[in-house]
Parts: sequence; structure tokens; C-alpha cells
Amino acid sequence: MNSADVDRFEKLAGQVLGLYEEMSILSKKSPNDAVNKFKLKFINRQLIESNNLLGEHYRPFDDFEEFDEDAIPQNSDVVFILSQYLQCMEKLRGDHVVARSGIWYWKVEGLEGDHMDEKGYTLIRSTKPKYLKD
Amino acid sequence: MIIRPRLTDHFGIHKSQAELDFAIQFLDEDLPLYVDPFLLWKSPSQQDQSLHTAITNSFNHLNYLCKKNKSDIASDTLIELSECKEVGLGLSKSRRGVRISATQAKDILRLFEIIPEYSQFGFTHFEVIQLYIGGISKDRISDIACNYLKSFLIDYTLEQCETQGIPTQIVSLPSIYNYRTNALDRNVKLRLPVNPHDGEPLIFTPKRWLRFAPWINFEDYFKTACPRDEIFNADEPIDRVRVLQYNRDNYDAVERYVQLKDKSAADCKNDPLFSQIPVLSARRKLAELLKLPSGKDDNADAKYEDYCTELLATLLYPHLDFAQAQSRTESGRHVRDLIFYNNRSIDFLDEIFTDYGNRQIVFEMKNVAKINADHLNQLNRYLQTGIGNFGVFLTRNPLPSAMYKNTIDLWSSQRKCMIAITDPDLQLMVDVYESKQRNPIEILKKKYIEFRRSCPS
Repeated sequence: MNSADVDRFEKLAGQVLGLYEEMSILSKKSPNDAVNKFKLKFINRQLIESNNLLGEHYRPFDDFEEFDEDAIPQNSDVVFILSQYLQCMEKLRGDHVVARSGIWYWKVEGLEGDHMDEKGYTLIRSTKPKYLKD
Repeated sequence: MIIRPRLTDHFGIHKSQAELDFAIQFLDEDLPLYVDPFLLWKSPSQQDQSLHTAITNSFNHLNYLCKKNKSDIASDTLIELSECKEVGLGLSKSRRGVRISATQAKDILRLFEIIPEYSQFGFTHFEVIQLYIGGISKDRISDIACNYLKSFLIDYTLEQCETQGIPTQIVSLPSIYNYRTNALDRNVKLRLPVNPHDGEPLIFTPKRWLRFAPWINFEDYFKTACPRDEIFNADEPIDRVRVLQYNRDNYDAVERYVQLKDKSAADCKNDPLFSQIPVLSARRKLAELLKLPSGKDDNADAKYEDYCTELLATLLYPHLDFAQAQSRTESGRHVRDLIFYNNRSIDFLDEIFTDYGNRQIVFEMKNVAKINADHLNQLNRYLQTGIGNFGVFLTRNPLPSAMYKNTIDLWSSQRKCMIAITDPDLQLMVDVYESKQRNPIEILKKKYIEFRRSCPS
């Protein structure tokens, strides 16, 4: 992972979280209602990008890529899948962050223009992985 | 084989009623709708308004004929105008109606004599004759209006035929009303589409002119405006003839009613050929259906069939036009099914047409806990009658795995496709009907795709 991937990751994670929150609201109201094609299109777009970013190692399910429009996924299905993606994204982040003086940073390969250490790594401010207990 | 054939299905025009401007006629029976002249009068279109004026002027010309001692001509014209079988509207099961009698025609023409207002100024809404003469009902009003407008309707029909690609041929019409001469032109030869079943010419009517009952009608008058206290004594039985007689003697009662109807013209809307049940009603029906036990106890099967009919006709509209619920007996068993016209309006329906040859889609209703081999055979035999190779079971539970395997085998060996719509599917259809997130027909597509994915490639 490099600093550009971190940028991509943060944008994507924010969007997937946004989708998750919106779909959770719908799912609480009517879990069995179908998701319309407009929403599905964008959810699928995020899922495909997430798959690319997460790679084989971090992908939640190796036999799930995106929702099939014709299978009429329901709100609760979408929430279920998005939550899995959020967990896996957090796992990826957890594996790439380090603590320095109590502050958490991404430790990734730097690119030209980044402030790098002697091994070529750069630190980008982040937060503590959610699965770590205080 | 097509059940309850329509003109468009016969000519391979795969458009739903919702997409077409004219009412699609059945080939063997009438459409239970009527041309309401009031809709033309209140229409914002100048064309419709002028056509209404033409109807009224033509009708009032009968008064002129009577005054010129040509009552016989007036009477003959009126009798001839009283039935218009080419438009296929009304309640006839055979597309054939009868004309009014000479006595009825004389009674109508006498209105010009006995009511001075009509004698002097003529009618403004000729449909009020229903309020004066017995035996004149909505179909008569509609037929008279259509006959007066026949020339326009012929042009309209030809225009629609050209747009939709419906074939026409030279036919001879016994009579067409000529607005210039105010008389009937006899044996007119012209191009029109014909009914392939009997070769009779057909004339289309625009949907926007059709209602189940004219805006001005006897029942409505009797309910809302008729001064019943003046006609009947208390506890006296209601007699229609006395109301008609009262109206003839009291022109102002009718006039007041007509003024009332004129004022409320904004509420007069054409009736759609099919209207969906509201969401609340669909929910209620689904709830009742889900409560039903499988089997025949307590008439559960008949109730299941009734609920399914109402729900499916609504849920699948406008993608599939409902044709009819029909009953048949097969090997001593009573079978009920729903037939829809396949108008290929979405890709899935187009595939059903192309791959399975379905011009109509059959839904066989089975209120049973488990579908068995007999049920599969029944539907299979029915598909063999030429309806196409795609059929749907409406049943309570998913097919048992052995039966599901049978359907897959049937697809593998004969390319016949049978899928099952179950309670949860109906529930999802009603959910999306309410939430509008997806079309209920997509649930049918989903079941089809699921089935196809389990078939060997």
C-alpha cells in the first residue's frame, strides 16, 4: 500500500460507511423491501472498487463480487454485505497503522513528494483500530 | 391459441393497453365501456368540442325533419343510428346488438313536440333522452354518438392503423352519417381493419372518450336530483316509468339536473380500461391470503384463487394486461388459472415470447401445501395446447426438491419452463408495489432467472 492507496481507501471507506448508514435506516423500517436499481448501481460501484482495493486477502467473501440486479436484493441483504465490507476495511487499516507516541499513523510506502523515512515509508495520521480494546 | 383474443394480439402488435391511444377491442365480445358525449363536451380540445357540437346538431336535425313532416325519415335514421357494432363497445358477448324499435324511435322524436324547449332550441346534451324514454340506456347513447361521429372515427382508426402497423382492407359499410347532408350515405366502400374471426370491419375509439356510464344517466339522476317526494307518495313502490313521465311533464327538473352536471364537469373523467387496486387494499388482500390454510377446507382454495386474481392483475399491470381468469376441468379436477397477454414490454417478457413462444402467460393457481407430479403434468398438458412453453404455478410453498428437479428435467428435455410463485414472492411483490422501489414483474423475472441458473447450460 502507498500513500495514494490511503487516499483512495479513506474516500471509499467514508462512502461505504455512508451507504451502510443510509441503508441501515431503510432496513430498520422495511428489511424485506427491495432496493431500487438506482441505489444498487451506486452500491455495486462502491463494492467493485472496494474489491479492488481490498484484494483477495481482505475481501469478505471470495464468491461475492456485487449484487445481481435481477435477484432483487432486499434492504437487509445490502446492510449485511456492507457491514462485512466495513469490517474488512477496518482489518486492512488495522494491519497498516502504527502507534507513535500515542498517536496512530498509517505506515505505508511513500511516493514522490511525501516525507519518507530511510526505508521509504511515510506516516499519515490515522486513528486507533476499532478492534483494539483500550 | 389465444384466450380472449384482442385485435393487437392477433396482428402481433405487442403493445400494452396503457401505451395505445385507442381501446383495444376483443375479437369475440364487446368492451364494457361506452363513449360518453359529455367527455367530448368538457374536453379542452377544440376538436372534441366541435365533434360534440356535430353530434348535437345532427341529433337536433331530427327535429327539423319532424317539423317538415318527414318524421318517417327521422325515425328510420334514428333507428339505423341506434346500433354501431363496429366499435365493439357495450355488454354483448357476441359483438352484436339490436337496434331500437320503431316505437322507441317515435317516442324519442315526440320529445321534440311535447317539450317546447327542445322543440324551439333543441338539445344541448342529447343523452338526456335517457331521462325521458324507457329502454334507452348507456350503450344506446354511446352507439348513437359513435354513429354520428363515424366518419371521424374511421379517419382516426386509419391513422392508428398506420402508426401501429395494423393491416386494413377494403370493406363496405352499410351506412355512414353524412354531416353535410344530414343523411346516411349507403354502402360506402373504404379501408378499415377487419375482425379476423368474422371479417366484420372494426372502428377504434379513443380511450379518452370512454366511461363505464355516461356522466348524465338515469341512475345518477334518480339518486341525486330526482324530486322523489313529488313523484311518489310515501311507501309507494318506485316505478321507473313514473319518473320518466314526470320528467316529460317537468322539463325544469331535468334542466336543473343537467345544469348541476355541467357545473361539476371538472369531476367527469374517462374511466381507465383497467384500474389497479390501491396499495392498502392489496396489503389487506395479501394478509387475508397469507392467513388461508392450504387445501380446500372452508373454501380456502376458492378464496385463494380470488385473492390471487385480484392481486396479480394489479401487480403485473401495466407490463402484463390481464386477459381473464378461466376454469377448466382436467382429469376430473377443477383447475383455475389466470391468463395475461404478453405484450413483450420488457426484456424478460420478450425472452418469454422469443424462447418459449408465449403470446399469453398462464398462471395456474394451486392452494396446496406441496405441488406433486400430477400438478406438473396438468400444467404441462395445458402448455401443450399451444399457449407457449412457459407457465407459472401460483402456490403456497416452494416446489419440493424432487418436483423442482422434474421441472429442470422438463426444461432439459423439452425446453419447457415452469416456475412457482409462492407466498413470500407475493409478499415481496406487494412490498415493492407499495414502496415503488422495483416493479412487481421483476420478481417474476427473478424467479425465472433463478430457475434458468439451475438448469444445465
